[in-house]
Order: sequence, then structure tokens, then C-alpha cells
Amino acid sequence: MSSQTWLRIGWRNLGRHPKRTVITALGLAVGYFAVVFIVGWAEGITAEMVENATGLVSGQIEIHASEYRPERSLYATIGGRDGTNVDQLLQTVSADPAVVAVSPRVYAGGLISSGDSTSAGMLMGIDPELEPSLSRFLDELSSGRLPVPGRNELLIGEEMARQLVVEVGDEVVVVAPGADGSMGNDLFQITGTFRTGLSEIDMSFAVLPFRDLQALIVLDPGRVHEVAVSTADPWIAQATAERLAGLLIPMGLEVEVASWTDLRPEMVEYVSLVDSFNFIIIGVVFVIAMFGVANTMLMATFERRREFAVMLALGTTPLKIVLIVLHEAAAMGLLSLALGAGITLPLMVWWHNAPPDVSWLYGELTAFGTLMRPTLRVEYNVSVWIQAGLALLVTALLAAIYPAARAARIPPADTLSGV
Amino acid sequence: MKRLPTSVVTIVAALCLGLVPAAAAQTSDVAREIIDRVDRVLRGDSSHGVARMQVVTEHWDRELVMEMWSLGTDYSLVRVQSPAREAGTATLMADDDIWNYLPKVDRAIKIPVSMMAGAWMGSHFTNDDLVKESQLIADYDIEVTYDGVLDGITVWEFRLTPKPEAAVVWGHVDYQVRQADYMPLWARYYDEDGELSRTMWWSDFRDLGGRFVPAVMEMQPADKPEESTTVVYDELEFNIDIEPSFFSLQMLKSHR
Repeated sequence: MSSQTWLRIGWRNLGRHPKRTVITALGLAVGYFAVVFIVGWAEGITAEMVENATGLVSGQIEIHASEYRPERSLYATIGGRDGTNVDQLLQTVSADPAVVAVSPRVYAGGLISSGDSTSAGMLMGIDPELEPSLSRFLDELSSGRLPVPGRNELLIGEEMARQLVVEVGDEVVVVAPGADGSMGNDLFQITGTFRTGLSEIDMSFAVLPFRDLQALIVLDPGRVHEVAVSTADPWIAQATAERLAGLLIPMGLEVEVASWTDLRPEMVEYVSLVDSFNFIIIGVVFVIAMFGVANTMLMATFERRREFAVMLALGTTPLKIVLIVLHEAAAMGLLSLALGAGITLPLMVWWHNAPPDVSWLYGELTAFGTLMRPTLRVEYNVSVWIQAGLALLVTALLAAIYPAARAARIPPADTLSGV
Repeated sequence: MKRLPTSVVTIVAALCLGLVPAAAAQTSDVAREIIDRVDRVLRGDSSHGVARMQVVTEHWDRELVMEMWSLGTDYSLVRVQSPAREAGTATLMADDDIWNYLPKVDRAIKIPVSMMAGAWMGSHFTNDDLVKESQLIADYDIEVTYDGVLDGITVWEFRLTPKPEAAVVWGHVDYQVRQADYMPLWARYYDEDGELSRTMWWSDFRDLGGRFVPAVMEMQPADKPEESTTVVYDELEFNIDIEPSFFSLQMLKSHR
């Protein structure tokens, strides 16, 4: 007999107790849903974290002078003391096909003061034209507008504005140690405030055009501390960084091209930890499901002891009995898989495209220094869908082995005689 | 208008006091007495002077000429006379607060607590060094660790260990004092792991303003041996006629 015939027999046997079959199949289907959903959600959280860590402020790749990290010295500019041709550097970097945005940055520690209040802060010099395409934190200012170069204008974090008791339009004094040893100081007008949700940034970052910052700290126009680069996908950042390093270092620039995977190794480790959990989740869910299936199959074979006894008495081999039971389990597995996929895939498509708001479950939270929105965002992982499907079928079959073996060993004479 | 002479004195006095903290409960009477004397070397009820501060770093060298006033340990005012670009820049210390006046923007800003460990005017002194001297005396236990001849000079060496409740950034401070005239020679500041963090040297001991004092002090960070800040007193007078009201924000802002 072909396996199709065996399956058909198995399918028909399932029909003896449609309710019991459906309930068992639903159990397996829910297990399938649980695995696919949990893995998708965990990956959604990971993706959100990586995107925020790289997209909110920093960018997927950072190019620095090789001695810039970790001290972040004011003097460690790209190209050393003489600086570099910034425009040319930006062009070279953006010529790489994987690069979608690039922006120069200058950093300096400083004081921002208004009246009696003074905040110690990080002054971040940006290019107001280029920066918004790279980092998201300036996309939606909580108030005001971006600063215009050459007009001593400044953006500060919402929390800093609160501490300094200033609002858009107010003047603040900015003081920063200059590269020549002088104490750079000037008046700046606040043109807006931003909110990242990361308190250390909202409290301590002030953003201004990098030309203005260079003037304040007496840094030559060719001297920048960082070129931030954004790639289309965070996961190609590493390869892109290596390619850019191979391009820039032969040009005589002593730079370090670091992708977020280099800068945030703890996040990479977290991602691989989450990945390794996928198998554990699959294992746990289906081991639980296995006992449910085994129970059903034991009942299904026990109530048919006489039937099996007759078949054995008529000359059916025990192996065939085993095959009948296993095919019944396989049919059950296929039914469950169809049910599971039928429930799961539409929900996954829905939640992937329109993540439901789950702020009733948890509010905005920060992990690894990045902000997480409270949405039920799920990521597709087709290989997990397939693995979970195979695991479901294997579960159904494994669960049927013991009932099948028992059915094959039924003693025909004793059973039929009613003992 | 007369340019007010300034205040290296204040800083020196402040630093010396910090380095040579006064007697504490566990301090032996001898140590207490010595330190008291050393303490008095640079402390007048009030002082006024002019000093040059030379800062040498890996990236730049500069010299500031400053005029300074002080009253007790709670008040001091330092005003930069040159270079011209920074003339008028001034620092006011009143109680534990520090205000910086910036003539370019004509504003005084208060240094936040979080910046007290930051450099003062680009030097190797911190803002804390300027205000902490009075507390240091109360904050440390002092013991004599050496009493004898070193390099032909009879000296004492002391170890200052912060009292448990003291808000002090150092693990301990060692210093050496010349027995002949109670002049401090050096002080070594150690961090909480016992690593040397910075060293202060005093030299050029001579009469200034009627007192025998070290006219030169040099601060040298341990992690950057090629860098240093040297303060040289050119003029110094003690017990001048000055009131606490002198140390006001209005005075801070007056250019001359």
C-alpha cells in the first residue's frame, strides 16, 4: 500500500472521535502559534533595540581617528592635528553602495548656563542638513526647529531645558575648553528641544551646527571627531565598516571604522542569546504538546484493542499495526499544522505590519541604553516557521511510538476472549 | 580705573592648606602642632597678590597673569590680567560655590557640583582645589610617617587619611615638610586604589609680604609626566583691609 493510502486510513481513524481529534490538534496548533509568535516577538524586541541603538543618535558605523576611543580627546580628530578635507571624506564614504546616510560630528564637553542654573553637558556639533537623514532624534523635535549655522543657535534636550528653566527663544551661555587652552565661551539662542527618552541624552546633550562648535572651541574647520554612517540594514554594518576601512586607511587616514557590533558587543551577545533561546522555546513547547498527543493516541489505541486483535488474528503483521498508528499520528500532525499555520500566519502578517500598542502591558522602557516602544512588534523568521512545523510533525510521531508499540503487542486470543 | 591685582595667593593658600590639613582627633599632638604651623605659613586672615600661572600640556602651553584676593578660607577672587583675550575672566569662590565671570558674554556662571572635579581655567588644578582647603583640615587624620634626614635635609613626612565621613576624593595624601622652617616640599595625592594621582611641589622659598613662603608651586599629574601647571607669586601681601562684601558677584563682574 502506498503511504497515501496509509495516511487516508489514519485520517479516517481520526474521524472516529472528531471532537477529541480537533481538541488535540488545537493543542498542537496553539503550540505552533506560541513558538512562532514568541520567537517573532523576541526578534521584534531585538530589532527594535538594535534599530534604536543605531538609528536614534549614533548611526550604524562610526569613523574616528584611531586614538579617539576610549578617551574621546578633543584633540583626536580625524586626520590628526591637520584635520582632513571633510567634504571629500563624506563623498568617499557615501560612494559605498551600502551607505544610505553620512554626517560629520564634533564633540566637546562644556557648560550650558542660564541665570543661576548651569548644566554640564556634551556639546554635539552636527551638520543640520545631513544629520536628520542619519539619526532619528532630530526628526521630531519636541519644540522649535533645527539650528541654523552661523547664528549661534542651539538645541538642547527636554530634561536639560527643564533643569535650566529655559524655553525656545531664550539665551544661554555656553562654555567649553578650547583646543588652544583658552576657555571658549559665547551666547547661544535655544531654537528647540528634543526628546530621545534616554535620560542621559535628554539631560546632557546640546546640539549645534559643527562649524559653530569648531569656532567656539578654536578647532580648525577640517577637524572633526567623527563621521557617522548609516547603512540600510544594521546587519550589513560590519561588512560595510570593513570595506570602508579598506578604502580610507590606504588613503593615509589613521582611522578606526567601527560598526555598532564593535561598539556595542553586549548587544550582539544579547541578540545571539535570544537566538539560542529559540530552540529552547521550541523544545519546551513541543515536549508539553507531546504528552497531550501521547495521551490521545493511547486512548485511541486502547479503545480499539479488539480491532487490532482481529487484524492480528487475521494475519496483519505487528509492523503494519505500528504503521497504522503512526500514520494516524502523522495525519493528526498535518491537521494540526494546517490549523496552526491558519491561525498563526495571518496574525503574524497583521502584527508585523501594524504592531498593536501594548502600553497597557508595559510603558516605554530602556534596555542597553536604548529606548523600547511598547508595541507588539513581530519579525518574520521563515526558518523558525519551518523548524517549528517540522518539530510539530516529529512531536506527533514521537508521541505515537509508545501507543503504536503497545497496539502491536496486543495478544489477539486473550483480548478477543475478553480477558 | 585701577586694575585690581589678583589672586594667585588665594589659590596657593587654598592648596597649601589642603595639603597640610590641620589636626584631627586621632592626630598626635606633635603632628597637629607641625601642621598648624605649616598651615599658618600661607594663611593670613586676608591676602592679596599677583601670580603667573604657566600651564604646559601635550597640546599647548600658556601663561596667565592673575590677581587674587582672599579672606579667611571662605572667600577668594581671582581675575585674569593677561593674555589680553582673556583679561577680565574671573573666578569667585564664596563659601563652597564657584562662579566664573566671562567678559566676552558679560555673564557670570555658577559651576555645578558635577563639574567641581573639572579643570580650573585649563590648568591641572580642579575647581575643588579652590574651595576644599578649609574642609581638608577637618577631613583628615594625620600621622607622622618619617622624621629624619633625607637628601641632606631634615624633614617630616606625613600621611593624611580621610576620615570615614569626609567627602574627599583622595585615598590618602602624603606630604613632606622641611623641619628647619616648616616649609612644605611636596605633596602626593593618591586615589582610592592607592595609585599616585598627582604631585605638588613647592620651591623658591623667600620673603613675600613679610612672610617666608614658597613662591613657586607646581602641580604635576601622574599619568601625564610631560604636563604641569606652575604658579609663581610675584607679589604677595597679607592681612589687607578687605571685607566679605568685596567677594560679590558685582565685584566679580567689574573688569577693572
